[in-house]
Amino acid sequence: MNNKFRFLPIATFLGFAFLYVPIIVLVVFSFNKSKLVTVWGGFSAHWYGELLQDPQILGAAWISLQIAFISASLALVLGTLAAFVLTRIGRFWFKPLLSGMTAAPLVMPEVITGLSLLLLFVAMEAMFGWPAGRGFTTIVIAHTTFCLAYVAVVVQSRLSDMDESIEEAARDLGAKPVRVFFDITLPTIAPALMSGWLLSFTLSLDDLVIASFVSGPGASTLPMVIFSKVRLGVSPEINALASLMIGVVALGVAIAAWQLLKSPQKSKA
Amino acid sequence: MSAQTQLAADEKPWRRAGEKPFIRINRLTKKFGEFVAVDDVSLDVYQSELFCLLGGSGSGKSTLLRMLAGFETPTSGTIEIDGQDMANIPSHDRPTNMMFQSYALFPHMSVEQNIAYGLKRDGVASSEVSDRVADMLSLVQMSDFGKRKPDQLSGGQRQRVALARSLIKRPKLLLLDEPLGALDKKLREETQFELIKIQESLGITFIVVTHDQEEAMTLATRIGVMNYGEIVQVGEPPEIYEYPTSRFVADFIGSVNMFEGRVKEDDKDYVRIASDEAGTDIHVGHGVSCAPDQKLWFAIRPEKLELRRKRPDGDFNILKGMVEDVAYMGNLSVFRIKLDSGKIVKATQSNRVRRDDEAISWDEEVYLTWDETAGVVLQS
Amino acid sequence: MTEAVVNSKPFQWTAKFLAKFGLSGRGLVIAVPTLWLLVFFLIPFIVVLKISFAEAMIARPPYSKLIEPTDSGFAINFSFLSYQYLVEDGLYLAAYGSSLRIAFFSTLFALLIGYPMAYFIARSSGQWRNILLMLVIMPFWTSFLLRVYAWIGILKGNGYINNLLLSLGIINEPLVMMQTDFAVYVGIVYTYLPFMILPLYANLVKLDGSLLEASSDLGAKPIMTFLTITLPLSLPGILAGCMLVFIPVVGEFVIPALLGGPDTNMIGRVLWDEFFRNRDWPTASAVAIIMLLVLVLPIMLLQKAQDGQNQDKSGI
Repeated sequence: MNNKFRFLPIATFLGFAFLYVPIIVLVVFSFNKSKLVTVWGGFSAHWYGELLQDPQILGAAWISLQIAFISASLALVLGTLAAFVLTRIGRFWFKPLLSGMTAAPLVMPEVITGLSLLLLFVAMEAMFGWPAGRGFTTIVIAHTTFCLAYVAVVVQSRLSDMDESIEEAARDLGAKPVRVFFDITLPTIAPALMSGWLLSFTLSLDDLVIASFVSGPGASTLPMVIFSKVRLGVSPEINALASLMIGVVALGVAIAAWQLLKSPQKSKA
Repeated sequence: MSAQTQLAADEKPWRRAGEKPFIRINRLTKKFGEFVAVDDVSLDVYQSELFCLLGGSGSGKSTLLRMLAGFETPTSGTIEIDGQDMANIPSHDRPTNMMFQSYALFPHMSVEQNIAYGLKRDGVASSEVSDRVADMLSLVQMSDFGKRKPDQLSGGQRQRVALARSLIKRPKLLLLDEPLGALDKKLREETQFELIKIQESLGITFIVVTHDQEEAMTLATRIGVMNYGEIVQVGEPPEIYEYPTSRFVADFIGSVNMFEGRVKEDDKDYVRIASDEAGTDIHVGHGVSCAPDQKLWFAIRPEKLELRRKRPDGDFNILKGMVEDVAYMGNLSVFRIKLDSGKIVKATQSNRVRRDDEAISWDEEVYLTWDETAGVVLQS
Repeated sequence: MTEAVVNSKPFQWTAKFLAKFGLSGRGLVIAVPTLWLLVFFLIPFIVVLKISFAEAMIARPPYSKLIEPTDSGFAINFSFLSYQYLVEDGLYLAAYGSSLRIAFFSTLFALLIGYPMAYFIARSSGQWRNILLMLVIMPFWTSFLLRVYAWIGILKGNGYINNLLLSLGIINEPLVMMQTDFAVYVGIVYTYLPFMILPLYANLVKLDGSLLEASSDLGAKPIMTFLTITLPLSLPGILAGCMLVFIPVVGEFVIPALLGGPDTNMIGRVLWDEFFRNRDWPTASAVAIIMLLVLVLPIMLLQKAQDGQNQDKSGI
């Protein structure tokens, strides 16, 4: 018994060390003065300055942020609709198909999704002349499609956990279906919508493979630029970029945690 | 206790022939795939009744209620409320309101907002809304809690808010799904009488779904007992208890001893039943329409049995057995007596004195007897 | 505010406009996501299937037409050339084999590392559990590409590990770790560990503690309790976690591309090279179709595991 009690915390500690040591090393060495990334040459914020003056990275970041914002928002609407249809609307003949199509993008290897969408866009262009060429729009469509699945999963689980009699009560008191959705359903699933949107935003911002397939000249996203740089070896600039992105996420998580810790105390009072 | 019982018998609308029912359920059936949840139910409920649908889980009582509210569409049959056919009327347009088992209070709205919700949907002017909300809050004694959120209320308080919210639109029919199910025993008993008081003061017709027979007995003007999607008996509480028409009802409501037997003598004024299970002839002091040698059952409640040490006179309605167990319940004691046939019979005696040294106890040989009108004969 | 939205003129107009075309709210709500997924998820696979039967050629787009108009109508040119390549050229089969092998072992490693962590988190109390869970989820939110990148600096010839070991005098020559299968395993396990831990945690946290007490009360030692109670009950979680790791790893591209060597031959990378380097679209499509077929069984297993998990939930 004692044995097990020592084994578990040690195993867990080592597991977390495995998850976090690389990130910590990355952040520490982003403040390295030396150009040799792996040899400590003193503290400096020099590479952050370099990063903020690199037009290629800044341009790609701006494109990625726009794509992520639009894709996440579209995916939020479409994913919520899909989740709503799957949990709240009774049987119709292609419901199993819709359910399968909603879940499948989650596990589909990215190379397949990327390839298949590219081939579709090429075929569509040949047939209808749209989308003319590939770039911003096609990346948005591709990202919306796979982010939609994540939103649908998150929202679906919230909707099926939700007590349906609350919606019935609203109908019973005279609210029409659209009203019920806006008055009752939406406020109840708001946290799930928020996390669905954020998840989509980060997934889109992070995607390399699908974007590489469906993008065209002139639309290089941040991961594409990072990938081409990283293939040539480690660069102190990328360390700085990674640390900035990790910093933003850590801040976001800290705020979310603070909100979570705050809210139960409020309701107790 | 309640006003209904003070009414003269002939004022009860369901006893008067030709009285127009307020709610008319006609041959209603609901199937879920192959499963028949509600099976060809016909039922009339009258204005200002407090009607209880009583049954176990899966008996179809909740489905019937949900069809009245408009949450389920009947497979066949019709529902009429106050002369109006409810087919094709969605739940948000029906003159009914429902109090949910889970209460279904909107968690993101305050008590006042919850109660006001229905009126706002009808476009009632906001000054009138706040007046009526205040009235409702005082009716359910929750005036001090209007600004609270549901998660800041106790179970009993939530129940009151749910009731207020479902009453504020003055529905023609209020549907209550296990309204007291989530309350503890003490609170439930107090709330039962409050619910009756509110129902009488507003005159709204209530249909209550419950699995708790005591609750049904206390609340109801009439009870409809449901089993496997069918209504097996409808009647006033004493009628259901004293005159069950089937073994299911006799067994479901209260505790009963049941003896299988065959008709031995059949006369205009009495019936004699031979029962091997009882080990005695059973004499019933009224006529029963039955065939000679027909198989039937005799049901008798434990409190109608008399317990004796000496064999009573006569050659019928006498059971002989051994006391196997005595359970002291406070107000009464329950005896489990094993007959020679092996059948266990339950009999209760009220404990009138505080300490009875002469009390019948374990392993004593005893006799049980009863009045010739104390039991019922059941044919199904 | 919602009142304003629902009652607003544009909202009402839109509703009326749609109603004219026989589209009720309900129909529209169903149609929009279904159409989107049909066009951008299902049809693309049909296109991939179609092109896998075409032949590569130097053109725009770089493949032959399946149906071509001729003088006497239409000619159908079904070509199995791409599939023939896959079978005949040992490279493709070897790539499928090594992808499956790498996916299998990294799934196993992730399970061995992730299970104790999930168990510990599920058994820890209140505040601690939330903090640990957050630590598991956090990597989800940080860039996957950059986390893989971090390992290059750690593993490479003059990276952190070699520098440390050299300076401590433990080794004289730098260890070769980058561009090996070892680096690929490390990268995969590192990246996919949270996918393993979360379903395991979701399963283990539902495990009723009184079952373990009952088992112990009936005389089982902790290890027996684990083997006879905990492990069997957590099987759906194990299956879900393993499939969530296994399926995407089979098609993984970034990790072998960044951490693997020239001989790390994974199918995702082969597809990528076929497409971007050789511009052989039909072969890339055939590679994708075969990969999908290989993944059908794991995907069905995942579906089953998730149904099992959901039933647990509704059973309570």
